[in-house]
Amino acid sequence: MQRLRNIQPKLSWDTVIYEDMAEIEKTSSVNGFEPKIIGFLCNWCSYAGADLAGGSRKSYPTNVLPIRVMCSGRVSSHHVIKAFQMGADGVLVTGCHLGECHYMKGNYMAAKRVPVIQELLGFIGIEPERLRLEWVAASEGERFASVVTEFSEKIRAMGPSPFRKSE
Amino acid sequence: MQELKDKVTQALKEQTLDGLLCLKSSGGYILPCIVTSDNIADLDSMVIGDERYPIATILSAIVAKQPGKTIGVVVRGCEEKAIIELIKSNQVDANRIVQYGVACSKERAQLCSCEVPYPSEILAGTKVEGVSDNQLLSKIEAMPSKDRLSFWMDQLGKCIKCYGCRNICPVCFCEDCAMEHDDLVPTGLVPPSIPSFHLIKAIHMAGKCIDCGFCEQVCPMNIPIRTIYRKMGLVMKEVFDYEPGLSIDERSPLGELEKGLEAVAEK
Repeated sequence: MQRLRNIQPKLSWDTVIYEDMAEIEKTSSVNGFEPKIIGFLCNWCSYAGADLAGGSRKSYPTNVLPIRVMCSGRVSSHHVIKAFQMGADGVLVTGCHLGECHYMKGNYMAAKRVPVIQELLGFIGIEPERLRLEWVAASEGERFASVVTEFSEKIRAMGPSPFRKSE
Repeated sequence: MQELKDKVTQALKEQTLDGLLCLKSSGGYILPCIVTSDNIADLDSMVIGDERYPIATILSAIVAKQPGKTIGVVVRGCEEKAIIELIKSNQVDANRIVQYGVACSKERAQLCSCEVPYPSEILAGTKVEGVSDNQLLSKIEAMPSKDRLSFWMDQLGKCIKCYGCRNICPVCFCEDCAMEHDDLVPTGLVPPSIPSFHLIKAIHMAGKCIDCGFCEQVCPMNIPIRTIYRKMGLVMKEVFDYEPGLSIDERSPLGELEKGLEAVAEK
């Protein structure tokens, strides 16, 4: 029988994602508290949505560090946990609306994972609201801008994450 | 007990079993052992008592080395659930495992704070009611968020990264473990990066943990780690109405794309 092997090979695409996420440690705020948010954007909808928001000159806060993943289902619980350990104040996972996933049901995986991670975070003592799942379609540039604005403001009101490294 | 011994003796003689994994008393100690047709006399020193070994973990190690053999196992309630989970994860072959269920005593159930201290079929021992002890869990849930965090940071900060909880866990079997992944858990730190070290294990336990309590019993620093896994179990039940270790056919919604879609559909 085939045993599970090499679930996590030493150099994987995860490594690439973690490298991208590490950028958050480099950003520093000059005056006061600026939320640091890691945003996972799905390639087909949300990233295009973000593009549209930029293309149509919608302004939105720059607190979100965008990380392009092929699908919101690609975002593993590991990524979210690692993001908080790195000191992110919030994590935003965005994908196509349910039923519109490029990979048929990939976004359902995100929809199933996120509530479980939220409960875990809450039990440990990290506010579950710091992790948010949103659906943004490629045509919803305006929605992307408003989601980012609203989430940034919410995180700003909540204050820095307990794991944030002092600057 | 005699019924069990007779069954096993017959199966070994007929060669429907290649070996039996059970506990035996040897020189005053209780040890796990394999009884085969060569040492069938060892069955006389077989014991069914309060002593507990991670039989399911041992079983999956044996099956990994000897995949072709048919092995009998003397199982408690928790071990039966663990073997179901191992079958679901293709770690043991359901057709090559024969289970002989034994019920735990009241004392054992109390020590483990076990809710179901008996397997589905009982060949030895008498069935006793389970113990439900969620004191710590409800105490933690009643705390404000800040206190909860400081409670867990204190507790998890005791970790010496011995990997005991993972090594003994019957449902942890991956050869390359996320808890050893350089990107997730930087090497050379004691305590490890908390809480992520423990959260990684906790998230893997969602929909897998069968609440045997070995992790907490082996922890040299007495971290109440089982409470987190128990919470994950409750979450899985609440969100997806899923409980691990009950049936071979029912798979975890977190592992199977098609499962649990309704639970999140109307969000």
